Amino acid sequence: MGEFKVHRVRFFNYVPVGIRCVAYNHQSNRLAVSRLDGSVEIYNLAANSFQEKFFPGHEGRSTEALCWAKGQRLFSAGLNGDIIEYDLEKLGVKYSVDGFGGPIWSMAADPSGSYLAIGCEDGSVKLFQVAPDKIQLERTLERQKGRILSLSWHPSGTHIAAGSIDYVAVLDVRSGNTTQKMLMDKRHPGSQRRRCVVWGVAFLSDGTIVSTDSAGMVQFWDSETGTLVQTHPLASSDVLSIAVAEKEDSMVVGTAEGTIFHFQLIPSRSDGKQSQWVRTKPFQYHTHDVRSVAHSPTALISGGVDAHLVIRPLMEKVEVKNYDAALRKITFPHRRLISCAKKMQLLLFQFPQRLELWRLGTTDAAGKNEDILPLSRNAEHLLQLKKKGPENICCSCISPCGSWIAYSTASRFYLYRMNYENNTVSIKRVSKVPKFLNSALQILFSADSTKLFVASNQGCLHVVQLSEGALKHLHTFHPQSGTLEAMSLLAVSPDGNWLAAAGMSSGVSIYDLKHLKPHCAVPAYNFPVTALAIAPDTNNLVIAHADQQPLPDDKTPLFNQHSLREASENIRRRHAHAFKISKKFQPLLFMDLLDEGTLVAVERPLEDIIAQLPPPIKRKKFGT
Amino acid sequence: MAGAHTGQAGGRHRVAVRCPEPFPGHGAEVERKMVNLRPRRSRRTLSAGKALDRGDEEEDSEEEEPAPEFPNGGPGAETMEEEGEEEDDDEAPEEVTFASAQAEAKEDERRLRDALRRDKALLKEKRKRREELFTEQKKRKLLPATLLEKLTSVPQTKIKKSLPRLEKGNTESEKKGKKEKTFPIRVKKRYVACRLKDQDLIDLRQQAAKGFIQKYLYGRGSNRTTVNKFLSLDNKRLPVKKPAVQFVNNNWGTERKQGAKKFKKQWMHKKKLASRRPNIT
Repeated sequence: MGEFKVHRVRFFNYVPVGIRCVAYNHQSNRLAVSRLDGSVEIYNLAANSFQEKFFPGHEGRSTEALCWAKGQRLFSAGLNGDIIEYDLEKLGVKYSVDGFGGPIWSMAADPSGSYLAIGCEDGSVKLFQVAPDKIQLERTLERQKGRILSLSWHPSGTHIAAGSIDYVAVLDVRSGNTTQKMLMDKRHPGSQRRRCVVWGVAFLSDGTIVSTDSAGMVQFWDSETGTLVQTHPLASSDVLSIAVAEKEDSMVVGTAEGTIFHFQLIPSRSDGKQSQWVRTKPFQYHTHDVRSVAHSPTALISGGVDAHLVIRPLMEKVEVKNYDAALRKITFPHRRLISCAKKMQLLLFQFPQRLELWRLGTTDAAGKNEDILPLSRNAEHLLQLKKKGPENICCSCISPCGSWIAYSTASRFYLYRMNYENNTVSIKRVSKVPKFLNSALQILFSADSTKLFVASNQGCLHVVQLSEGALKHLHTFHPQSGTLEAMSLLAVSPDGNWLAAAGMSSGVSIYDLKHLKPHCAVPAYNFPVTALAIAPDTNNLVIAHADQQPLPDDKTPLFNQHSLREASENIRRRHAHAFKISKKFQPLLFMDLLDEGTLVAVERPLEDIIAQLPPPIKRKKFGT
Repeated sequence: MAGAHTGQAGGRHRVAVRCPEPFPGHGAEVERKMVNLRPRRSRRTLSAGKALDRGDEEEDSEEEEPAPEFPNGGPGAETMEEEGEEEDDDEAPEEVTFASAQAEAKEDERRLRDALRRDKALLKEKRKRREELFTEQKKRKLLPATLLEKLTSVPQTKIKKSLPRLEKGNTESEKKGKKEKTFPIRVKKRYVACRLKDQDLIDLRQQAAKGFIQKYLYGRGSNRTTVNKFLSLDNKRLPVKKPAVQFVNNNWGTERKQGAKKFKKQWMHKKKLASRRPNIT
């Protein structure tokens, strides 16, 4: 590894959005996470928890519930009253259906996956039937007094437990009547006037209902008689979420203090006939409220306002104790948020609702290893581009010469032309964007800034020629395999001859740009591709996979180079083998080679993120 | 029912409405039931047979009453009756001639008529003023015609200038006739134009729902603290106490600092100019 001057950039003021809901799919071992700004991410837990898919958010959406239904379909419901189905192939919203009940607070799919129950603001529980291409309102069950904040189906699909303010109601699905109503005891330790809000309910197959409420208690009720069987006062603040394992022998609850508690069903007598729920382990991995928890067969998953997604494998369930059995804390997105214009030393930062353009500072001093050189000119914030419309920005890119900026939301594509004269920056929008460029999943400029590559959500790859005023459509590469899989990563060779595109589960396909036709394809590997790059002189394709084994792939001869487009969220910068690991950096978001002796690394220290989060619950420590 | 009180112009007008008597003993209470109705003329003039523009029901009820009460009829008899009620002594009533009584009655009548006319005129004026007020308000609500003309002619020039400022809503500026947020800068600041499309996102119910969450999680009874205090707890318990995590508030006085920076720049620029042109004295 040679000597480099490293620009350590810390002015990317990116605060990840807090997590609101987490939903685990047993069949495919995938986790869907929805955030407070309406964006949804899908993680492949088998592939080292890699973030496979990303749906950008929307200002009007505020998801409160997320669930998987039959056939790997993902639904979400929020406070705007709509139920949204997501298209996992095209990475967009398929359609949205109005729930007709006001803001929707909770949603649950029945055990067979063919019905969805939603709990609305007006107190009604509505049943939707999941049809092959859409969902349909089937029935409304008996209306309760007060908003339904949590729902849970009985494993047989005959009853639903609905938690609201001060009570839990049990509804019979076939008749729609309330069979039982359990009133909460208003034993709130603090002020007397606050009502007891039931944030989470779970229905077990033996008829026990578990409720978690704002008084900090986890209570076990018998649904036949409506009586309280057991109560566990866990915390003095709210217990916000609950999830039960499929086998119903363990449960996890999350509190507002950031602690998650693990409950287990332990046989109380030696013959194993009778068993009791016992609170076994507390885990403190969060600093702020844990809004949602999920239970996979081997791990506890929690997510909250502090935007960490914590996957805690349970030691007794894990067979092989290897790297997988360690705690995973995912804070940063697994996509590229920063692009670099190498010649002009500009960085483009992508926030969910705006883009910022910065010019790097320069230094004239020279120093030895490990020196911190003083800046002769500070980094400058050149431009802030706010998004248009309610949708959040999906992807963005700046051309290497710095004169084109492109970004895309879920439905539109925007292209801007930049002008740098003296010290001022001027920007002009290119308004005549061709019709087929409506939404892009990935945008890339060629190295000489004459061509624009757009991976659209239909699965095609468009090549557009850029010139001073107009865009000319050169070619469109259609997907070869016949499946409409969207491309997630693009890489172009510096000499402009080759373009590599990685799909989500298919392999990497390589296109020849001189002749404008597909060249070859790298076979698919078990793990999805996380990063892609083409070496300058040698046209080697370097692929990094989710299991952190980079496969240097020889297309045309010679050796590797080290320009990675994104870095993982831990301190390790690269993997071993031909590379070296450097542990000096704070959590890295981006790293690129500016020229032969300079690197730019964008760091995001965790303390800076925590400083901008909402207020946490007060913790009393002795002596302070 | 010998208790029919006369009404006096300008005074408190009362009318005793004769209600059907269920029991004979209740006559006194029914009598006391006073209803405040519209101002009406003195009862004395009623029987004179003048044309009244009052409600017919009252007339009917009134006319029924005097008839049995004053079998003698005539205004003179009424006055005698009234005066008799006012004096408590057993003196003999005063001698009043018919002519003088008639003249008095006529004068009263005239005064009442004038008062009526004045009242009517006042009411009419009031009504007129209210009508004018309403039409003025209505006119004020609709934008004046001149303003509308200005708005429709502005779009063409404003578009070119506002392109560099890429704020929300400027994409539609190419279409004509749409009100934009840039307009109020040119127009007097009484109007704020906003797109109806943006209003869909601000749903009142959604706001209320978000307010509910905010109230229950972060509201009054919740035990919340600032992030700074939260992270500094550990620092306080160390053997060597360290300061809080965010000890210095960098956001303090940002405007003053910015102003100071600007001033410094300007001052240095001035100094530079001054040093280039030395004063030769």
